[in-house]
Amino acid sequence: MTAMCDVSFLLLTFFILTSKFKPTEPVAIDIPSSRSEITVTDAIKISVDKNGKAYVNYPSAPFRIQALTNMAEKYPAKYGFLANLTAKQKATFGQVETFGCDAKALPDLLNKKPDEIDKLATGIPMDSLDNQLGDWIMAGRYVDPKMRIAIKGDKLTDVKAVQQVIKTLTDRDIHTFNLITTLAGGAKKAEEQN
Amino acid sequence: MAEIDTSGGGGGKHGGKVRGKKLSTKVDLTPMVDLAFLLITFFMLTTSLNKPKAMDLNMPKKLEEKKQDVKESQVINVLLAGGDSIWYYETSEGKMTDMKETSFGASGIRDVILKKQKHVDKQFGHDKTFGDKTIVLIKMAEGAKYKNMVDILDEMDITSTKIYAIQDIVPIEQETIDNDGKVKAGEEIVHSK
Repeated sequence: MTAMCDVSFLLLTFFILTSKFKPTEPVAIDIPSSRSEITVTDAIKISVDKNGKAYVNYPSAPFRIQALTNMAEKYPAKYGFLANLTAKQKATFGQVETFGCDAKALPDLLNKKPDEIDKLATGIPMDSLDNQLGDWIMAGRYVDPKMRIAIKGDKLTDVKAVQQVIKTLTDRDIHTFNLITTLAGGAKKAEEQN
Repeated sequence: MAEIDTSGGGGGKHGGKVRGKKLSTKVDLTPMVDLAFLLITFFMLTTSLNKPKAMDLNMPKKLEEKKQDVKESQVINVLLAGGDSIWYYETSEGKMTDMKETSFGASGIRDVILKKQKHVDKQFGHDKTFGDKTIVLIKMAEGAKYKNMVDILDEMDITSTKIYAIQDIVPIEQETIDNDGKVKAGEEIVHSK
């Protein structure tokens, strides 16, 4: 009994330590299911919620801070004001896993706590006049050009919003990306059935 | 492990003191182990099942857009519309035929595509890399949901359709869907490039 108890607690500790908590997100996204079995670990994730608002999720805190710096450096005319952010504001940005707000609102928002910023997310503008989403994606690409891009859409998102995101990507010469889904199982290839 | 030696280091006779009845201090570990395994099971299930999967999606590069010779009988147009409805049509001599409504799943669109593949296979033969030469054009009509798009891309994988493209819908197609699939007389489909 003692040995079994030891083993079970060892395993328990292992699982508790290795499991990662679900990251906090400004909106809950109910992803569709598919039979695809590719796993994506690190990626720049673009979330599109039910109302068609877009959010960006970079893989790690240093990545986020570097992307923020890149925004100011690569697009000084448009985002030059982001260079004036304090180190503390940048650190706060590093803590926000998924962010979705207008870049102009960012300096004010970064004085708040990360969970408050989540609540105030309004979506990143991605219309053709002011496509900030594209700029954030490029800023991420400057950090790591090999980083995958993944789209995480809600089941009920209007497909037009997703197509707008896809257009944003293809306009920037990103032609290969992933769609995040859950595993559905079930249907096999048609050939295998026959 | 969970026992404490309560023998008192010698025995009753020489110790002098009178002791009460010795109680067993063995603790039953079974509930603890039960709980531990329950938690292990919980953690194992939640960690492995929650991993998101991803689909690959390749969009064509604009520069690579070459005009290819495509026979119209190779092509099937699939249109996704609101309320999870799905329509398909083929063209004949440059003209759009009436659209038919079908459903998602094995007896609906999958069946339609598989039949089309058999047909195309007979007519055009097999290609080494692509298999059959069926071309599926996917178009999103008003009200289509992202879920529908993922479902149809999944269907492409299930039916092993290698050549498919997501295209912009043209006005006449939207009109035809609104008109319950009936093409207005004399209307010709203009394919978007």
